[in-house]
Amino acid sequence: MGRPLTEAELVERAKRGDQDAYGDLVHAYQGIAFRTAYLLTGNAADAEEAAQSAFVKAFYALGRFRPGAELRPWLLRIVANEARNRRRSAGRRANLALRAAAAVTSGGAAPSPESSLLDAERQSDLLAAVNGLREEERDVVACRYFLELSEAETAEALGLRKGTVKSRLSRALEHLRERMEVADV
Amino acid sequence: MSELELALTQIARELDYPETPDLTGAVRRRLAEGRRPRSWRRPLVLLLAALAVAVGAVLAVPQARSAVLDWLGIGAVTIRQVEGLPEVELATGDLGVGERVSLAEARERVRFPVRVPTLPGYEDPNVYYAEPLPTGQVSFVYGSLDKPQLLITQVSALGALEKLVNTATRIERVSTDDASGVWIEGERHFLFYPGAEREEPFRLVGNTLVLERNDGVTVRIEADISKEQALRIAESMR
Repeated sequence: MGRPLTEAELVERAKRGDQDAYGDLVHAYQGIAFRTAYLLTGNAADAEEAAQSAFVKAFYALGRFRPGAELRPWLLRIVANEARNRRRSAGRRANLALRAAAAVTSGGAAPSPESSLLDAERQSDLLAAVNGLREEERDVVACRYFLELSEAETAEALGLRKGTVKSRLSRALEHLRERMEVADV
Repeated sequence: MSELELALTQIARELDYPETPDLTGAVRRRLAEGRRPRSWRRPLVLLLAALAVAVGAVLAVPQARSAVLDWLGIGAVTIRQVEGLPEVELATGDLGVGERVSLAEARERVRFPVRVPTLPGYEDPNVYYAEPLPTGQVSFVYGSLDKPQLLITQVSALGALEKLVNTATRIERVSTDDASGVWIEGERHFLFYPGAEREEPFRLVGNTLVLERNDGVTVRIEADISKEQALRIAESMR
């Protein structure tokens, strides 16, 4: 039994039209692709369609993928583009929600180390503040903190310069601080 | 990382994501069905020949028509050849090129390389920046916005624009040293951004050269000029 193919080998095969190899790449990245699309559209059906279309477009665009480059941010850029186009088409904002279990956990139970920073109510307030940001700021916050992409990956995924990502993040954090202060009043 | 940033990463673990669907199977099926517009690299003459047969066969079935004719993709532009163009209100006096910026600012705002013609008379365009697409669009306008003599647009996005052309419009495959695409001439044709945030008016355009460069940038040159002149301008872009 041979060794599993590396990502670079799968890409090379896919470039030659090997759809099985491309299927392996889709499988590897479908989770992050769907989450990216969901964060940008806020709608499961739109996210699924955007991610699907992005993977199909990416297959045909593989000829332009530079050997040695990182595949994940390249794919996420196509996914993000599809997702934002669908968001625009639908004409609605992407409002995110917390899991039900997280939203109700508060009160008497001792907080776990992971939840010690914010209680459930403050989490809901902060997410509401994120939902209220301008889309361009909200998108960089979602990519940087919710998907935990690096600044470079965020820039690649959103088609921005790193400097633009930094400045938008800075503005977004400032706006979030202002809104959270207002929520405290 | 500040406390606020840590709190945001904490929220990431509590977000209510839907379960990831099986994209692998769906993508495999779509690839097998060949549902993407076919590559421009296929011989255009073959496509046009097929079109001539297909048009006669499917025009009676409106739903099938767009599917059959949705076949030509050149970088950012999908060209749909339709029998009749829509009756729409045309943009007047608005090229949709956005705000006037310097060349340096335009280059700063986008991540793709913005090239400028070096052909004498074309080296100093009026530069405009717009965001009809998330990745931005840089346009060069020669002449005034009211009466543009030539418009060059550069974008980097797959399948983001659509061009509707009449079946009587002549489409010819062309190439330069580092780009390939089509020359569109003759009957009127429309350009629009499907799914744009605001309703972009359909815009009636003149003869158009659409090229996809090797670096992934799609260049459109629109003017009442000859194919040869448009190609000279494109080839001079550095």
